[in-house]
Amino acid sequence: MDKSILAEIVGDSNTGFKFDNALRNESLTSNGTGAPKATKTGTTIVGLIFKDGVVLGADTRATAGSIVADKNCAKIHYITPNIYCCGAGTAADTEFTTNIISSNLALHQMNSGREPRVATAMTFLKQYLFRYQGHVSAALVLGGVDSTGPHLYTVYPHGSTDKLPFVTMGSGSLAAMATFESKFKPNMERQEAIDLVQEAIESGIFNDLGSGSNVDVCVITKGKVDYLRNYAKPNERISKLKSYKFARGTTGILKESIHKFDIVVESDAMDVV
Amino acid sequence: MSYNGTAIVAMTGKNCVAIAADKRLGQQFLTVDMDFQKIFPITKKTYVGLPGLATDVQTLYKSNMYRLNEQRDIEPKAFAHMVSSTLYEKRFGPYYIEPIVAGLDKNNNPYICGMDLLGCMDVAHDFIVAGSADENLKGMCENLWEADLEPEDLFETISQALLNAVDRDALSGWGGVVHIITPNEVITRHLKARMD
Amino acid sequence: MSNYNFSLTTFSPSGKLGQIEHALAAVNKGVTSVGIKVQDSVVLASIKKPGSSLIDLDTLKVVEPICGSIGMTYSGMGPDFRVLVSRARKIAQEYIRLYQEDPPVNILVKNLASLIQDFTQSGGVRPFGVSLLIAGYDSRGPGLYQVDPSGAYFPWKATAIGKTMVESKTFLEKRYNKDSGLEDAIHTAILTLKEGFEGQLTEEFLDIGIIGTETTVEFNVPGKEYKNPEFRVLSAADIRDHLENTV
Repeated sequence: MDKSILAEIVGDSNTGFKFDNALRNESLTSNGTGAPKATKTGTTIVGLIFKDGVVLGADTRATAGSIVADKNCAKIHYITPNIYCCGAGTAADTEFTTNIISSNLALHQMNSGREPRVATAMTFLKQYLFRYQGHVSAALVLGGVDSTGPHLYTVYPHGSTDKLPFVTMGSGSLAAMATFESKFKPNMERQEAIDLVQEAIESGIFNDLGSGSNVDVCVITKGKVDYLRNYAKPNERISKLKSYKFARGTTGILKESIHKFDIVVESDAMDVV
Repeated sequence: MSYNGTAIVAMTGKNCVAIAADKRLGQQFLTVDMDFQKIFPITKKTYVGLPGLATDVQTLYKSNMYRLNEQRDIEPKAFAHMVSSTLYEKRFGPYYIEPIVAGLDKNNNPYICGMDLLGCMDVAHDFIVAGSADENLKGMCENLWEADLEPEDLFETISQALLNAVDRDALSGWGGVVHIITPNEVITRHLKARMD
Repeated sequence: MSNYNFSLTTFSPSGKLGQIEHALAAVNKGVTSVGIKVQDSVVLASIKKPGSSLIDLDTLKVVEPICGSIGMTYSGMGPDFRVLVSRARKIAQEYIRLYQEDPPVNILVKNLASLIQDFTQSGGVRPFGVSLLIAGYDSRGPGLYQVDPSGAYFPWKATAIGKTMVESKTFLEKRYNKDSGLEDAIHTAILTLKEGFEGQLTEEFLDIGIIGTETTVEFNVPGKEYKNPEFRVLSAADIRDHLENTV
């Protein structure tokens, strides 16, 4: 038996990165073939604590260099039923980091039989990010409500964390923080809090070129989450007045092949060994 | 992207999706092959386009097929996640590939999804582009695409988007191939194109 | 004394692997568990063995969730079961990390069975002293599987493992009705266990897990929208209600 099977029963499952292509890529770069650009989230992400819980907010623009790669991406990630996390930085890193922590917390929850705490998620995240010394570039706003109440953290790519009543992150963080600094007050009502988050994100959307498109909002209260995808759409595309549809037969064809599917009646595979 | 040259585009239509690619394989400005396969069938109704470094196109295709060991037709969404995970495994020594998955799910709903080289997914309702001609393609598709195109109209739209994009990209072109995936059949057409 | 009685990896001349048979004997000494699959749901039920009246049974769990859509119970050795629960959860999470969806039941069963088989063929280990019942729901509908210490696995409509396996299976063969609903299946499971239970069967001595179209969970996160059946372990109060309705 593979020695690791016994180790895996007690130890961590086998995760980690592979470096097979690293040397090759280095030589390709030195020969003038650089890597394609990774998708980043220029991003405005924010969070604040209000009377009954936490409100998280995010814009929806993803960029690759100066190109808008995705006009409506979702930057508020699921961690556990009571914890969500906004991500800024390299899009793949925020996506996969939050997924891995979500998966670890699912195991933790089943093994402990308790609802995960926000502080636990924060600790998992900072330990993970610190291990990669900032090379996993995920800047996060983590918020949730657990048995000890609402909590809001920022987690930086190198693994440092802050615990504050209102936070902003990403390239639009200055614009958003300006809004928060002037208008935040403790113990706001729910709608008041959502309005302020919307205003902060919109100030990012309109003043920071790395942020754009729509406003996503996530309201977490005790026992309830309202994920308000595209809560505001301040940049809706004006629809075309005329169609650019081509007449059929416009395009010249050299060769055509058609693969028709057989109509197969699906059998009940469950009862067959 | 710019070493071998590529243009791949996927679009949704009404109960159908289309995925199209050019056929050129080059070594910078030298053209090596005029019939290089960049789109691969995964299941009956799911195709993957692999734009990028040709060596990685073939390696990634093989390693993904190896991972499909479930004896069932994988859904396009699950397949896209699998490709995405394969890419992120090599976060610090990535494949130079930006895959595009296009297919119909079990309810025949269109699914198209692009990724960056690290595996970050972009699930779109309209179109996805990638390759050395990606900026040209973005411009074309942003203009030409419209919702609920019938398979035949989708074919014209995606073909014109592809042909006109590669005509302004020196590194891609030399013919094109389009697959239109519908609930009952897949239509594959090879396009007449400039050969320069 | 012959070596094959003790060496795990040696076949006896009659073609048997002694340790695996002994492991099955350990399973057959364990308390009974039943699984019943009906139209659109599955029930798992297992007895908690009162070794002594002083044992606090509230904290003991014999039906465990593996991931959202899969749960598991056992007959045999408790400690071995807990190791397998932990491994099964990791197998499920590995699958989820790759595909961002729960594993189909047969895939999880196959992977877990392969791990159990490793323990029949490796140096320095013994086979697991448990048979598992695994219940879940996937795109093919409800699924119920048994996995033995040898690594063999079987899909069932309804089955029982443990001490009263033979009698319970006979009972199930008579009672089983594929078209019945979840409530009926729970009652059949309770009745089956009652048959083999010495003394008064109360909620204290029973764990029940259910999954099906009546136990769905809704998920509403962009990119992960779904409404799927979820495996649930019934509370003591719920079990009491079911017991009261089962005469």
